[in-house]
Amino acid sequence: MLFNFMDKKLLSSYLKIIIICCFSFSAIADKFSLSLFDADNRPMQDMVAYLEPIDDIKLEKVTKIIEVGQLGRAFTPYISVMQRGNSVDFRNRDDITHHIYSPVGENKFSFKIKAGQSQSKDDFEELGEVAMGCNIHDWMSGYLLVVDTPLFAKSDPLGQISLDVQQTGKYKLIIWHPQLDAENNRVSREISFPKDNKVTMTITNKILMISEQKNEEDFDFLSDY
Amino acid sequence: MLKTLVLLLLLLNIAITQSAEYKLHGVLDIRATSANTLDSYIDSGYGKFTSHDGNNISLAQAGIDFTVDWDTGISAHVVANGYSDENETIVGVTEAFLKYRSLPNSNGYRWQTKTGIFYPEISIENNAYGWASRNTLNSSAINTWIGEEIRVLGSELALTRLGKFNDNNFDLTFAVTGFINNDPAGSLLSWHGWNIGNRQTLWTESRAIPNLPARLPGYDLNAQAEKSDPFIELDDNWGFHLRGKIKFHRKGQIALGYYDNKATPYLVENGQYGWRTRFGHASFIWRFPNAFEFTAQYLTGDTLMQSPVKMDVVNNDYTSGYVALSKRINKHRVTLRLEEFSITDNDNTFGDNNNEYGKSATLNYTYRYSKPWLLSLEYNWINSVRAARMYINQPYNLVERQWQLAGRYFF
Repeated sequence: MLFNFMDKKLLSSYLKIIIICCFSFSAIADKFSLSLFDADNRPMQDMVAYLEPIDDIKLEKVTKIIEVGQLGRAFTPYISVMQRGNSVDFRNRDDITHHIYSPVGENKFSFKIKAGQSQSKDDFEELGEVAMGCNIHDWMSGYLLVVDTPLFAKSDPLGQISLDVQQTGKYKLIIWHPQLDAENNRVSREISFPKDNKVTMTITNKILMISEQKNEEDFDFLSDY
Repeated sequence: MLKTLVLLLLLLNIAITQSAEYKLHGVLDIRATSANTLDSYIDSGYGKFTSHDGNNISLAQAGIDFTVDWDTGISAHVVANGYSDENETIVGVTEAFLKYRSLPNSNGYRWQTKTGIFYPEISIENNAYGWASRNTLNSSAINTWIGEEIRVLGSELALTRLGKFNDNNFDLTFAVTGFINNDPAGSLLSWHGWNIGNRQTLWTESRAIPNLPARLPGYDLNAQAEKSDPFIELDDNWGFHLRGKIKFHRKGQIALGYYDNKATPYLVENGQYGWRTRFGHASFIWRFPNAFEFTAQYLTGDTLMQSPVKMDVVNNDYTSGYVALSKRINKHRVTLRLEEFSITDNDNTFGDNNNEYGKSATLNYTYRYSKPWLLSLEYNWINSVRAARMYINQPYNLVERQWQLAGRYFF
């Protein structure tokens, strides 16, 4: 009956659409947008959100260079996120030497970077957080999250995140912050894209105290290393 | 000798095989002084300031702090200081040591060792380059004494637990030092009492002592040399210093320590006696909002020097403490320090009365003209009673005052 109302050309286009729909992981470029709020309905800034495919979706590896800067004797930004295999550029924008390190796990590292210089590192292989410090300035503290997906971003001051998702299907949406009071500092939920292309999440877990990356001394000519 | 050679070879090996970073820092301190005091303790007098009576201009400190940092965590430090005024011009090394700082482990524990000539960590005032005092031109009585007589040749091993690895807002440090070459420490404090100054004793320097009646021929201190040489070893006994510190992130710190030079008090060589000197010390720093800081230090101990037949010649107890308030408003800083000090003489040696009691107040205003240039105006007031001043016909109870105007350049 249906075919009676359609000419062959139209039928062919419909079939194509049906085929596309059945081939569920086909490519469609669309935005995934996420809004994050805390229990008091305030926007949550600097939260890392990333999508891990649940279905058999092959995501392309992105080639990005992540900059982890040191400025004003502080890690700038405090939180960075990268896809495994990306290269990280540690850039010392201060006028003094820093001794950057991470003491735990496979991603353990340590090197000194002189004023104005940078050091590149492209072998962060273990997934998860890399907690970093400076062995000269103990108050410095920064985090790098290594994820296995190109779909990641950090929330802006309005708690907003936007990701270009190329493929439809089911994903695990994970929210991480180094001080998020939750197991592994993460909360997650499942989403189905593109149905759930606009998600608003209220995170009831608290953000524990973030120690301020600031030297307690206001005098620059102190002798202790 | 063999140990020194091995150490030198090791250093040479490190220097050749590792890339190094060289850093030179320092301080220049030029002062105009107007003082109402006696002849300075620096020149064997009983004056409680480093400066002399009257008006004068001096190079109060020219200090350099040279560091070589290797990527391995090892660093070499040499600190030298020079002083010049109308009475003397002198330059020399005050500290020289090697330091190794490990990386923290996954629980936040970090080791640090320091080997060589250095100050035991006692002062909370003298943490600028060249061991200069940060907020005042003249150190407190406690730290003026530390700068004069307490220095060690030894090795410190410190363990720090960093709170950020353990969700704590404080770091803990415990340290133990074994040392030699501080056996005569205590003699200058006993003989000239507590002072307020900024003069550090150079490692190779010996310092004048007052001309006490007990040093005259036939009296108990006649064998004492003209000058005291605080940094020598007489009995090959190891002394020790223990300290602990809790540092609250961005708030402040509390530190406690104990020093014992373990010197044999009845040994004398070339006119230098062993002085068994022991003291406990405590310090407190608390930072309030708006660049307002409260600091305090307390030190109490004893010292004993005996004749070769083990009779007490000098047996003193001593105590000093201060509280200080410092407030910075943009480029301006005002610091007020109030102190109290005493020495109790427990022996009966004729012509050597070391009893003393005093109070002191220091008011400092510092203007930070530019990042490296600090201009300071400081007033010091000391009221003390000291029996020994009567040996030179000076008052038992005396008030000394001074004004100082200083330009300090840090680099």
